This record gives sequence, structure tokens and C-alpha cells, in this order.
Amino acid sequence: MTEKKRTIKVELARVEGEGSLTIRLKGKKATAVELRIFEPPRFFEAFLRGRSHLEVPDITARICGICPVAYQMSSCHAIEDALGMKIDGSVRALRRLLYCGEWIESHALHVFMLHAPDFLGYADGLAMAKDHLDVVRRGLRIKKTGNAIMTLLGGREIHPINVRIGGFYRVPAKNELRALLPEIEWALGAVRQSLTWAADFPFPSFERDYELVSLRHESEYPFSEGRITSSKGLDLPARDFDAHFEETQVPYSTALHARIRGRGAYLCGPIARFNLNFDRLGDSTRDAARSIELSAPCRNPFKSILIRLVEIHQALEDARRIIGSYVPPDRPYVEAELRAGTGHGCTEAPRGMLYHRYTVDAEGMITDARIVPPTSQNQRTIEEDLFHLADVLATLPLEEATSRAEQAVRNFDPCISCSTHFLDLRFERA
Amino acid sequence: MGARVIGLGQPVAGDDGVGIAVLRHLRELGVPGGTELFEVADATALLPLLETPLPVVIVDAVVGHGAAGEVLEVDADDLGARGAGPRAISTHGVSLGQTIRLARLVADGRGSSRIRFVGVTIIRPDRYGCGLSPVVLAAVPRAAAAVLARIER
Repeated sequence: MTEKKRTIKVELARVEGEGSLTIRLKGKKATAVELRIFEPPRFFEAFLRGRSHLEVPDITARICGICPVAYQMSSCHAIEDALGMKIDGSVRALRRLLYCGEWIESHALHVFMLHAPDFLGYADGLAMAKDHLDVVRRGLRIKKTGNAIMTLLGGREIHPINVRIGGFYRVPAKNELRALLPEIEWALGAVRQSLTWAADFPFPSFERDYELVSLRHESEYPFSEGRITSSKGLDLPARDFDAHFEETQVPYSTALHARIRGRGAYLCGPIARFNLNFDRLGDSTRDAARSIELSAPCRNPFKSILIRLVEIHQALEDARRIIGSYVPPDRPYVEAELRAGTGHGCTEAPRGMLYHRYTVDAEGMITDARIVPPTSQNQRTIEEDLFHLADVLATLPLEEATSRAEQAVRNFDPCISCSTHFLDLRFERA
Repeated sequence: MGARVIGLGQPVAGDDGVGIAVLRHLRELGVPGGTELFEVADATALLPLLETPLPVVIVDAVVGHGAAGEVLEVDADDLGARGAGPRAISTHGVSLGQTIRLARLVADGRGSSRIRFVGVTIIRPDRYGCGLSPVVLAAVPRAAAAVLARIER
């Protein structure tokens, strides 16, 4: 048999971080799919040891320029768990509002600038803007609505500095929050318009029986609280994460791959949240989803772009509700009483579940830290998706196959690292 | 007159933080009246910052151009959007070159018409770490001087 090997290398400038993806094909079957990434949280785990617990939210916010609030919220919840603190009332509501801001801006960036160009056949958002300027302007204005919430509550858009253990350093006045409402109302309409627009995209026919994993709260669409649940029966508190999930090393990547003990790969992120929490969506958001015939179950990862739009709508709906009923708290934060202990925090970053665990000593110093980001949890599933797409990729011309593979990776909105921004993709045929 | 200087970078990603280091050096040196200084970690955060009548200078790390520590100054339009030209490194999701072009497209005439780029060449970081390498650290005053020369011109 003659062996023919072809390798192409592309810069995937719309995935954050640096990494490479190699797909080896034999005939129509994939023989190997290897996603190599550099994973930043490992550095931070070591960096946090010996630091004061009060520093952790600000330090972990540095892990990602796109989702700093997720890192802050998971770390706050974990440390507050260790210290036996309970945050409720207006401070809890403001935290949810801040998280809404991050979901809006992160999802809007991905939908309009990174993922939509794949479906419309453009190399990137800039190329798409030349033909669809109104859509891009709309997307950027939606994103700006999220940024405005983050700036008000976080102190600044990037790497918020107003979050602390127990709450905030400063809370906004009622009129400061109400000033956001006109733009939130506009954005709700703009998202519904965008849903109709995106519903007509050519979605590849592809579904898999993922084990979906997300938080589930007793009454809310999950952001910061809830039990870890899965489509195949998991239902556990955050403190049991380590007992049910494990991370393993692979020879081709410095990043660890997460898996459910005894089972294997799973999927977290918008598709998991949507399927496991469709009944927790707000009424107007559920109606918006149904208006484009989108409801649970939905297991086509390419439709994650629609679900992200639905989640933007949910975040806007939540933001409007929280602002409408806001009463400033008596104190911006709850004071911590130091004690030694270990705490666990699990929240829903835009890309999926983000788990933190910290051990603090009696002086409030961190002695141990563990961070499991959503991209690490989805890595194995990304590779398995590529495996299952291999027979389709094998029939396509190389350029088209590469685009489809890139698109499949982007379904997960991977946040690979915060230092560089290229994914080299190798597509090898033997 | 006045100007807007924006440092891009990730301070805990080694040399990738050089843009932020130059900004902080400028703060210590002092800048002419009317100069605004901004630090950002995400290139898309530049979009609203480029909507200004002021001239803008963006400072960032660069790969694929010269030796580590080399300071270069180019027009923002000469930045490689996808492969060609010097490539700014500390951007996320959307590259710096793309972001600047996009800002011009969506700003509808309200954006800065004078955007310059000061870059410091680094070796692509492969892991996180605090502080700059000696050769890149030594370039910070030269990059700051290049920024000052531009905004005083």
C-alpha cells in the first residue's frame, strides 16, 4: 500500500491561546486526534500557596482576560465555604449581576466575532463585517452592554478589582444601576433579532450522546450556585467533585484531561447547561428559544451558537430583574472570621463549569489550591468530536476540512491560555 | 493636544507583560498633560478606546520580528492581521491588527485617525511566570522613550 501523508498548518486566530491540533486519518477513519494546549491555571495553583485568602480573587482574575469574573466567583465561593460564610440578599444578587455582565460580553464576542464567520463562510469577524456591518455593530453593542455592567460592578471591564471575599469593596447606588436599563432593554430585542438571524445558519448534521455536566440550582438558571448534575445521573455537591472527577496526563500535551471516574469524557458549557436546565430559563428567554424551535434536548454542538444567544438573553433578563428589585445592602461585604479549613467552589463560566478548591490555615493563608477550568474538562470531548467527524472530513478538500475542524473546535469556545493566540492545526492523511 | 497610550499585555505571562510594563514606566516618568494611559489585557477592549479624536499609541509585545528586546515603531495598519507583518502577541480571540481595522470599520468616522504601534520583540512565552526577562526588561525605557517621542511630536 502506498502511503501518502499531507500536512497543512493554519493559524487559528480566533481561538484564544496557543495550541495545536493534529488529526491523523487512515482512509475515512481517524487514527489519532491530539489537542495540545498550554494550560495556565497550573501555574496559579503554585503561585497562590502562601498568599493571603484575601488576595485570591484578584490573582485568579488574571488567569483569563475574557472570563475573570468566573475565576473570582469560584475562588470567592470556595474560600467562603472554607470559612463557613454565607452570602445572601443584595450582595448575592449583585454577584449574579456581575456574572451576567461577563456572560453577555464573552458570549457576544464568541457569537458575532468568532463563530458566526464560520457559518457564513468568512475567514474572520473583520471579513464578515465588510458584508454584515449592521450585524457586527449590533453584536459589539450587545457586548458593550455586558462590559458596562462589569465596569460598574467590577470597577473596570478587564480584571475587575471590586470583588472581595464576602462581597464587594463598594456597591453601586440604585440610580447607577438603573442607568443601565435602557441599554439592557435594547439588547434584549437585539438578541431576539439575532436568534432569528442565526437560526437560518447551515448547521452540520452531527449529534453525539454526550454525558452533559452542569450545575443545577433549585430555582435559577445556574451561574454561581447549585449541585453538580449530569445527564447520566450525577447529582452531587461541589465538595464531592474530586471523588467523581479525575484529571489524567496525556503524552502530547502539558494540560491535564478531565474525565468522570470510571466513565470517561463529558461535556460542560452552554449545551450542557441548556439541556439540564431548560426548565430554569426565564419565561421570556424560553419563549425566545422556542420561537426558533430550539428546546431541550439539543445535542448538536454546532448549535451552541444559538444556545449562547439564548444564554445572553437569559443574562439580560436576569440583569433587568436584579436591577429592578435592587435595594443597596447595609454593608458591601460580610466580614470573614478566620479558621483553618478546606472549601470548594463551582460556578458556571461562560465556557462551562469552573471548579476551585482551597485550603486555608488559621491565619487565612492559602496552603493548597486546585483549579479545574472548563476547557480542560472539555478537551477529551473536543478530541472525540473530531474523531467522529473524521469520516466527513476525509471526504472534503483539505481547505474545507480544515475549516470544518476549526469550526468544531470553536463549538466549545476554548479558552486555551491568556498569553498567545494561535492554534496550529495539522491534518495528516496516511 | 493630548494623546491616548494603551498598553496591552498579561503581566503574569512573562515577557507578554511588556506592554503593561512600559505603561507603568511612563507613569513613573510622567507624561505630558492631556495624555491618557490605559492598560488592557483583551484586544477587543480596545474597540471603545479607539473611538477618540486623540492620536493613539498602542504598546505591545511582538513575535516574528527581529531579536528579543528590539523596539520597533510602525503604523498600526502595518500590523499583521493574520500572518504577515510584525505580529502583536497579547491579544485574545481577535488579533490586534484585526481589532484596529474593525474599530475603523464600525466607528463610522468617530475613531482615531492616527494610531501608531510601538512593539517590543519577545520570544513567544510557553508558560506563565512573573517578571520580564533581562533583555526585554532592558528594552522598557527605550520603548517608553519611543512612545514619548511620538506623543510629543
